[in-house]
Amino acid sequence: MPTALLETKLFVPRPRRGLVSRPRLSERLSHVTASKLILVSAPAGFGKTTLLAEWLAARSAAPTDERQVAWLSLDPRDNDPAVFWPYFVAALQTAAPGVGVSALALLQSARPAPIEVVLTELLNDLDALPSDVILVLDDYHVIEGQEMQASMEFLLDHLPSKLHLVIGSRADPALPLARLRARGELVEIRAAELRFTLDEAAAYLTESMGLVLTAPDVATLEGRTEGWIAALQLAALSMQGRDDVTGFIAGFAGDDRYIVDYLVDEVLDRQPEGVRDFLVQTSILDRLSGPLCDAVTGRDDGTAMLKMLDRANLFVVPLDDSRRWYRYHHLFADVLQTHLLAERADADDLHRRASHWYGQHAEPSPAIRHALAAGDVDRAADLMELAIPELRRTRREATIRGWLDLIPDEVARVRPVLAIGFIGALMAGNEFDAVEPRLNDLERWLEPIGDRAATWTRPPGMVVVDHPEFLRLPAAVELYRAALALIRGDAPGTISHAQLAMDRTTEGDHVIRAGAAGLSGLAFWSQGDLVAAHRGYSLCVEGLQRSGHDSDVLGATITLADIRITQGRLRDAARTFEQALQRAAADVGPTLRGTADMYVGLSRIAFEHDDLDAATQHLERARELGEHTWLPQNPYRWRVAMARLREADGDLEGALQLLDEAQRVYVGDFSPNVRPVPAMRARVLAGQGRLTDALAWAREQGVSADDELSYMREFEHITLARVLLAQSRAGSPKQSAGEAAQLIDRLLRAAEEGKRDGSVIEVLVLQALSRPADGDMPGALTSLERALVLAEPEGYVRVFVGEGPPMASLLTKVAKQRGGSDYVGRLLGAGRRPAGRPAVAAIRGNGRRLVEPLSERELDVLRLLGSDLDGPVIARELSISLNTLRTHTKSIYAKLGVTSRRAAVSKGAELSLL
Amino acid sequence: MDSPCRYEIRLKGHLAARWATRFDGMTLTSQDDGTTLIEGPVVDQAALHGLLHTLRDIGVPLISVTQLDPIVTPSFDNPPPKHSLT
Repeated sequence: MPTALLETKLFVPRPRRGLVSRPRLSERLSHVTASKLILVSAPAGFGKTTLLAEWLAARSAAPTDERQVAWLSLDPRDNDPAVFWPYFVAALQTAAPGVGVSALALLQSARPAPIEVVLTELLNDLDALPSDVILVLDDYHVIEGQEMQASMEFLLDHLPSKLHLVIGSRADPALPLARLRARGELVEIRAAELRFTLDEAAAYLTESMGLVLTAPDVATLEGRTEGWIAALQLAALSMQGRDDVTGFIAGFAGDDRYIVDYLVDEVLDRQPEGVRDFLVQTSILDRLSGPLCDAVTGRDDGTAMLKMLDRANLFVVPLDDSRRWYRYHHLFADVLQTHLLAERADADDLHRRASHWYGQHAEPSPAIRHALAAGDVDRAADLMELAIPELRRTRREATIRGWLDLIPDEVARVRPVLAIGFIGALMAGNEFDAVEPRLNDLERWLEPIGDRAATWTRPPGMVVVDHPEFLRLPAAVELYRAALALIRGDAPGTISHAQLAMDRTTEGDHVIRAGAAGLSGLAFWSQGDLVAAHRGYSLCVEGLQRSGHDSDVLGATITLADIRITQGRLRDAARTFEQALQRAAADVGPTLRGTADMYVGLSRIAFEHDDLDAATQHLERARELGEHTWLPQNPYRWRVAMARLREADGDLEGALQLLDEAQRVYVGDFSPNVRPVPAMRARVLAGQGRLTDALAWAREQGVSADDELSYMREFEHITLARVLLAQSRAGSPKQSAGEAAQLIDRLLRAAEEGKRDGSVIEVLVLQALSRPADGDMPGALTSLERALVLAEPEGYVRVFVGEGPPMASLLTKVAKQRGGSDYVGRLLGAGRRPAGRPAVAAIRGNGRRLVEPLSERELDVLRLLGSDLDGPVIARELSISLNTLRTHTKSIYAKLGVTSRRAAVSKGAELSLL
Repeated sequence: MDSPCRYEIRLKGHLAARWATRFDGMTLTSQDDGTTLIEGPVVDQAALHGLLHTLRDIGVPLISVTQLDPIVTPSFDNPPPKHSLT
């Protein structure tokens, strides 16, 4: 982003000397701290900017006011969120250094986060502001994009109390103004209040402008201009140095012409020819500097002219303190442009020269704008082609997308490099339908290249200005085809196009190589081919490392480790996370985004090892690192990991709550969602004995026991097997046992075929648990033995221990058969450890609390459940029927999140209820 | 609403004729009552809003916006109404 522009957009305008002070308006503005938004909404020339500048200057002169001030002048380019938000943050940073750094990093990552995630990050920073900040967004009427409006509304909905927004606009913004008004959170200053009153007009004309006027003169001027400040200003300029002021006023008042036309003509007529020409010629410029004006006018007095206009107050507004950049007052520029078009034939030339100057000064956007205004589409297309790589790197695809509409199709079609830039922008905006025909069209330029790249000559009619990019085209086309195939769910197509992309990359093009490898890795993963998926993703990580996308390396690491965990290679997965952490630690600068996610990953592995303390500590560490080190998916991943710890702790209600939160904050990425949160929830429900609810999940998600099995739905099918097992154990219809057993057999075969040992172990555990019900104890022990053989080298514990007493009894039998085994002994020891470890509870402090407390009667029942008495005896003891006792017991189990008398008693002891 | 229509826009004050360059294809006429009429074809709603934005930006007070008869291209499917012939 060119710094000269950046500074001028962030410049807080200074009030001119000799302004009319307007206490009635400053007073209204002083309510800023009590409101969310100040809206100054009025047409051009009503003194909005002046009023705000004056108010801010007076405020900062008051030593008691500690509020910081920031300013952002908007222009149409800011309709691209990737342009707007960096400027927004930059403006805030002028008042609160360091704020929004991580939001900015998120915006510019190679995998852009949804804007809400970015803004949440920013809002968190703003929450911690040391003092209040007032941010003015001037010329807000240029913001029209739906996307921008939605994100502003989100910001406003969540605006921290320390930030106060002021919007200056010619039209009311598409924000929920009525709601803000109703809540008293909006201060409005509109045209009616901005108009100069008679007194203000008199003060301005006679005191500030030094005109000698009678009261009726002032009244006539005020009446004719209706207090419109721009008109009064023009009138004052026309009257300065005039002998016959009264005659001028009479002529002005008696004329029907549009005020500005009349007055600008008056002012222009009074200028020397050189000045008038300068004004008309430079009216095409949004911003004026001496050298730029010289380039446009072909003269050499630009700097001197601007200084003179500034001194004479001829509608130039300084844009920086050093007075290098100015702009015309918008209204004045508009009238000047009509003079230009009506009086001169060289407007196109002027634009062409401005475009040239901006091109030389590496500012493609204005260079393109002027080229288009000059009618020089080819030059605009050249400039776009050269500018696109940098825009893509900084994720400003919406800007590129905007250009697409400005270039006629026939121009883009003969420019393959420009065309691929547009294709990238369409992909980024999810406009997939428009991509395929453009790819086909573009490919005809590439067909002759083939293997004869060395002898290839450019086909006639093709236009390329960015030659290095042209060499990347054969690979880039295939990369986009691979991405389209993945979006369509066509895994084989993804893999074959990704392979072609890799074959066709030029030496050292790590970006395309990484992209293609990643896409094919994802396609293999969705097919359940984990070996190939891992290979693809490893190549992707390597490419990302070489091209310096460090944060994305961490994101891809999670995928690599996920694959390893599914393969039952816990130790490899742990190593993957640890190595990534080491690399991240070697990185100088702020902690890399994604670092916290590595700890969440390590927590998952510690959990499988049943080292619940370490698992807890890793999660704690992730939280301490702060959200700026989190990838967008981490809020959900962290909660899922925490929910499993709660579950292991016997706090099933707490686990459910966390899973519900996880579902709410769920953000997907490119990876297939192979462990959906609703399925995790169903597992916990089954653990609580809420089988109807668990089965409702299966119905909602369309999961059934006779589905065709695929890796993508493996987790859900294993979940269903668990629910069916729980159902048969609860004595429900016989058929669920048979259904469960069949499903488990099929799952086992599928997992074995896909070499997914992590899944194989879990399914074998379920098989072992299902068999005793059929009286098949030897079969149960065989399954368990097989699971143990696979699990021992990787140190799996939780997958066994989590199954509770039925598993303990099977393990005891295996231990007898084996005649002593360290591993089985360890599993049995882990199972006997008392439930509920303070470490987990400490994290949130409320882990011990029940969501719904037990009633007095239920507490009585619980105490007796802890005795050796049987049901009928307890019922007699409490003088209640056996049915009532059952109702109480069921309610206790639900509240404690347990399914057995023994668990209820131990949970009760743990909660000090006994 | 997405087919071309003629519109008539009335503004307060007499707008100089050179503004016609800003309103391509529209005619500007000054009225005796001190207003200006801008009249001409408008391709669609987006074009109409663009026109209104231009007027907003030059700060000229808007009095009315009126849609005149839609532009009907006579064709076999769409013959001119009978009564217009008599």
